[in-house]
Amino acid sequence: MKEFNVIGKNVIKKDAVDKVLGKAKFAADMKLPNMLVAGVKRSEVPSGKVININAEKAKKVPGVVSVLTYKDIPGENIIGIINKDEPILVEDKIRRIGDAIAIVAAEDESTLEKALELIEVEIEETQGVFTIEDALKEDSPKVHGDTNILAEKILKRGDVDAAFKKCDVIVENEYSTPVIAHMFIEPEATLANYEEGIITFYSSTQNPHYDRGEVARMLGITLNRVRSVQATTGGGFGGKLDISTQCHTALLAFYTNRPIKMVRSREESMKVSSKRHPHYMKFKTGATKDGKILATDVELLQDTGAYGSYGLAVITRSMVHAQGPYEIPNVRIRAKMVYTNNPMSGAMRGFGVPQVAIGHEGQMDALAEKLGIDPVEIRTKNCFQTGSVTATGQKLVDSIGIYETIKKAADKAEQIMDKEGK
Amino acid sequence: MEKVKISFKLNGENVTVETPPNKRLLDLLREDFELTSVKEGCGEGECGACTVILNNEAVTSCTVLAPQVDNCEVVTVEGLGKDGELDKLQEKFIEEGAVQCGYCTPGMLLSAKALLEKNPHPSRDEIKTAIEGNLCRCTGYKKIVDAIEASIEE
Amino acid sequence: MLVRGKGIGCMWYGIGNTGLPNPAAAFVKVHIDGSVTVLAGCADIGQGSDTVLSQIVAETLGVTFDKVYIKSGDTEATPEGGATSASRQTYISGNACHFAALEAKENIVKVASEILKCDEEEVVLINNTAYKNGCEDKTITYKEIMLGLKSRGLLAIGKGQFNPSASALVENMQGIPYATYAFATHIAEVEVNTETGEVTVLKIVAAHDVGKAINKKNVEGQIEGGCLMGMGFALSEKLIINNGHMKNPDFNSYIIQTAQDMPEIYPIIVEEESGEGPFGAKGVGEPALIPAAPAIINAIYDAIGIRFTHLPLTADVVLDAIKKKEETK
Repeated sequence: MKEFNVIGKNVIKKDAVDKVLGKAKFAADMKLPNMLVAGVKRSEVPSGKVININAEKAKKVPGVVSVLTYKDIPGENIIGIINKDEPILVEDKIRRIGDAIAIVAAEDESTLEKALELIEVEIEETQGVFTIEDALKEDSPKVHGDTNILAEKILKRGDVDAAFKKCDVIVENEYSTPVIAHMFIEPEATLANYEEGIITFYSSTQNPHYDRGEVARMLGITLNRVRSVQATTGGGFGGKLDISTQCHTALLAFYTNRPIKMVRSREESMKVSSKRHPHYMKFKTGATKDGKILATDVELLQDTGAYGSYGLAVITRSMVHAQGPYEIPNVRIRAKMVYTNNPMSGAMRGFGVPQVAIGHEGQMDALAEKLGIDPVEIRTKNCFQTGSVTATGQKLVDSIGIYETIKKAADKAEQIMDKEGK
Repeated sequence: MEKVKISFKLNGENVTVETPPNKRLLDLLREDFELTSVKEGCGEGECGACTVILNNEAVTSCTVLAPQVDNCEVVTVEGLGKDGELDKLQEKFIEEGAVQCGYCTPGMLLSAKALLEKNPHPSRDEIKTAIEGNLCRCTGYKKIVDAIEASIEE
Repeated sequence: MLVRGKGIGCMWYGIGNTGLPNPAAAFVKVHIDGSVTVLAGCADIGQGSDTVLSQIVAETLGVTFDKVYIKSGDTEATPEGGATSASRQTYISGNACHFAALEAKENIVKVASEILKCDEEEVVLINNTAYKNGCEDKTITYKEIMLGLKSRGLLAIGKGQFNPSASALVENMQGIPYATYAFATHIAEVEVNTETGEVTVLKIVAAHDVGKAINKKNVEGQIEGGCLMGMGFALSEKLIINNGHMKNPDFNSYIIQTAQDMPEIYPIIVEEESGEGPFGAKGVGEPALIPAAPAIINAIYDAIGIRFTHLPLTADVVLDAIKKKEETK
């Protein structure tokens, strides 16, 4: 093996010294002279129609510098990393609790809180949809457009129905996984400033270049007029891939010509940042009596909540990975992702794969038990190797370490577990 | 609201400040003293990111009001280490790879410091207990516990 | 009664976006004093990409790690790196940095070969020095080479970009969704308290094929963090949503793992090098989480003979199932 000088070595992490000294500046730690603090007036109902927004009382509070609504957005009022379906500020339709209706910039926190309370929003509450089952009903209220189905896809290889007839054992199970929160310890924050025709903002983010694009479109200005800087970021796990505080602070900075800082509270962060898609899954898997898997048939239902976010990436990735790291000649994966008036689901560490892994690994153990073989053996017998073909028809050519990981893990477990365990 | 005058020892120095009585210690440290190493993660005393040492005890500064520290001693991460040298804990956090996003790090260091001041040779379980109120979503705690352990063995 | 069991979970994970272009780019400049600046769009969110990218550049140029300064995630200074997601940055931004460093190296090697009076292929760059292959005792410093560039009117700058060789998924989703995949296996040992339903994870062995570990401690840190997040997924985490209302939006009622929950974790790094990866590297961020929960669920089955399929397995859920099982006996 080639000898390296730096690769593979435990060097001192570039950011570690500043972080142990407490010197690393997260967005909430930054400030500029003459800075204002900002907050968001949000919907408290999951589904409705905005009849009227009255900010007159809020605007009169001494220390309130700016109150803005969708009418103040000079460019496009729509964002989304894949499909653009989320308003920066709601125009008429409320789709979830926490939808942003108005934003405020004020001299200090207590003035800001007072102003947010004084904004009067008249909403006509409408019937929402909260389950996948309801969302799929023909006469259900529609969250966007004329269907609640964001995506419906099929992945197919071989002939599962014919293959099941050749199987000696078949296991069928239903699985589900709940809504999960990222729980990064640093809540989202942005500091924005508008100077000499350039809007600059420092954010807690996983994708500063994407943020730049959304702010530019919102303001109707070119990309070279927007500078998006990633501040030190306190974890993300996928939850800081969507726009959080960037557009709202940039818009307020644009109007006030003063630096604007917005920091989310934990509760606000929890309610409006994306979540892990809850999954409802059916797995049917069949094998021959010597433990070779012949077919797997999977159905996935996924709730993306009020907005698409990274949903379209989650549906595709979860389908591609649903067979698990095993060579299976006959595969059918069907999936539907729907909109509801639940909190928005998006990217979270694994993009749907942690969910389907609950299914494919449950099936492997269920099959092993039915066949009377060891859970490790059924995996080594079926796992990918060089030359294996996946359900998408991809021939795997190099770097296929699954067998090695099973063997090494099993050997280690043998050493350290069986002695003290049962 | 009428301000109150409080005096306390902050990172070894005597300080006096006027503050609204309902101001949280967290905000006093961040705003009045610009000690932004003290982080807010939840505002409810649940996550431990705002931990400081108050009279030798690790406490969450979001659940302490500023007047409560009158005549007390407060230590933040800025008060660790002497003469520009890193504290042993800080050194070991770096060496062991205990720092990822870094948001929990200052609070984690201070909980560990408070433990070591009282119990210079804690067991691994005692270390885990001392930092159980400091949540970390990145590291799985292993390298943090390793770092604290390494700082006592020498 | 306390009963123990052991279970296995495996996973595969495609690195980068699924069947879509997702390029990243970087710039590298070697300065006259032999220090290096890297400009990369890649956002470091604590996982350590700044460190890993700097290591890749240092290795490529033959300088020590401390010579490399990296500026990342600033749209005015850095080219696009794409999202820090899909476990893609070591692989994709890593390659971009590697290629940028290779381009910056061209003039350095050219001038070094002139100074050392040897062929370019014979130049070895290591530890801020250069020598002719086989003549390790006759070294010149990076500074000397850089002065050589200056006197010749040359600069050492490079740009790099990389887009993984995936293809769109077409009819029936056939195609090449990813250029490379990471693989992993976890084996967990649990203890179930049959009186309370409480599950304690005692040990997790976590073997990960990462292609090549650019930084072993960073890889272990990802694995260990992933194990605890996976434990939360299996055992405690669930947002309760009632008609669109979130009932537990705080750390008090949404339970993540604490230091007290930490099992003994044994990370095992497997290095099946990827042909396209920088020095063979793939990715580990998301793979770290995925097999933990299945391994725990299967370990619970091994302990008490109940196959759970709906998460999370909080103590009340487990206890209910134990009682039901006893009733049907």
